[in-house]
Amino acid sequence: MDGLISFFASHHAIRAEVTLTRAGLAARLIPGPRELSPNCGVALRFEFAQRHAALAALAAKHVRIDGVHEYRPRTDTWGPPHS
Amino acid sequence: MAVIYFDNAATSWPKPPEVASAIIDHARDAGGNPGRAGHRMSIAAARLIEDTRDLLAALVNAPDSSQMVFTLNATHALNIALHGLLRPGDHVVTTSMEHNSVMRPLHDLAAGGVEVSVVACGVDGALDLDDVRRAMRPGTRLLVTTHASNVVGTLLPVAELGALARAHGARYLVDAAQTAGVVPIDVEAMGIDLLAFPGHKGLLGPTGTGGLYIREGVTLTPLVRGGTGSDSASEVQPEFLPDVHESGTLNVAGIAGLGASLRFLSEIGVDTVRAHELRLVARLVEAASDIPGITILGPRDQVRQCGVVSFTIAGATPSEVAQLLDDSFGILARAGLHCAPSAHRTIGTFPDGTVRFSVGWFNTDLEIDASVAALRQIAAWATRGVAWTA
Repeated sequence: MDGLISFFASHHAIRAEVTLTRAGLAARLIPGPRELSPNCGVALRFEFAQRHAALAALAAKHVRIDGVHEYRPRTDTWGPPHS
Repeated sequence: MAVIYFDNAATSWPKPPEVASAIIDHARDAGGNPGRAGHRMSIAAARLIEDTRDLLAALVNAPDSSQMVFTLNATHALNIALHGLLRPGDHVVTTSMEHNSVMRPLHDLAAGGVEVSVVACGVDGALDLDDVRRAMRPGTRLLVTTHASNVVGTLLPVAELGALARAHGARYLVDAAQTAGVVPIDVEAMGIDLLAFPGHKGLLGPTGTGGLYIREGVTLTPLVRGGTGSDSASEVQPEFLPDVHESGTLNVAGIAGLGASLRFLSEIGVDTVRAHELRLVARLVEAASDIPGITILGPRDQVRQCGVVSFTIAGATPSEVAQLLDDSFGILARAGLHCAPSAHRTIGTFPDGTVRFSVGWFNTDLEIDASVAALRQIAAWATRGVAWTA
């Protein structure tokens, strides 16, 4: 899942997970990255490619979101040394 | 001696067994702080809160669950509504049947410049809509009434009052302390802008739970400000629901129990609970009416009554009757003024008060019959002055 939705409040984060799951879309609550989600502690991972369907489902249920982001996890592998 | 519990208007007992299980499960498996972190126990607690919020919203037909705020009890919810809405110079209309949970905040607000009109109810607790209409003025800010009297059980016509308030441009706040979970409530159909209710009475949940429904577009200044888990970078209280009125850690254990009791209740259905209580009250009133010396107060039409019945017995004080009921029969009832001195003045029982029986889902016909037999013995003792032998 390469998409991330941030929220103002956990009330809406929990509702978003339920809404997307019921709509048949993949969704999982995770600890929100601080730079994107300083608010309620949680953010929702989802498939970025499904963002239009996801946002429509959330709007229909009056779920308020902070923002939609493309998620790029950091890796632990070091790049080649600079010389 | 088996206990017969007739104090459900104070708090319901017993609770469904699922309530205790849910509280234990929470303590064992989901003990995180909701909305404060992203770890699994915090998320589990937040899910539990939101599940319960959804159930509450569905119960009263609230359009959106964010309009449902958790409180500690109905009194807390009423204080948020009254102090959050009313400002010096505002005019508010209420009734003489209100509990002190409405009267005391209004008294305080009146001292600060809010104008309060109290519409007198009849001796049966009934409210005349024309009297309310006469009390309303152009610019009246709020109408606040109980849904049912906690003293005599009289139901007020909330749908008509909601329409009346709206026609006058006022908001309508309902104290559903005696009706949430036992009388159907629809905030949309009844025109209710603010609904305050406890979780531990008709909803069969634990003490320390309650809620306030706030209609979209109604803005209340928060009573308490603090951490909400949201907008954490700001030192200013968030303005969005439900967070604006939910500062500090919620009673998650209690709300877990409330969720379980709401599921229990939704399987039975509020209509079924209402029919059960109506039958019990009718059985009680019919059988007790011919006891010599008893005076049953309130409406004589049980369709206009919730599961609360008040009475007095000639020759005995209410507290004597309540003590005899407990000591000799294991019947637990409440005597006195029931935190509603104005209601007792209205029905003519101030300052002595009454004995109150309040039934619930778990009470039975057999318990009603046993209590009537007990009252018959107590009345005989009180009116004839015979020695007490039970």
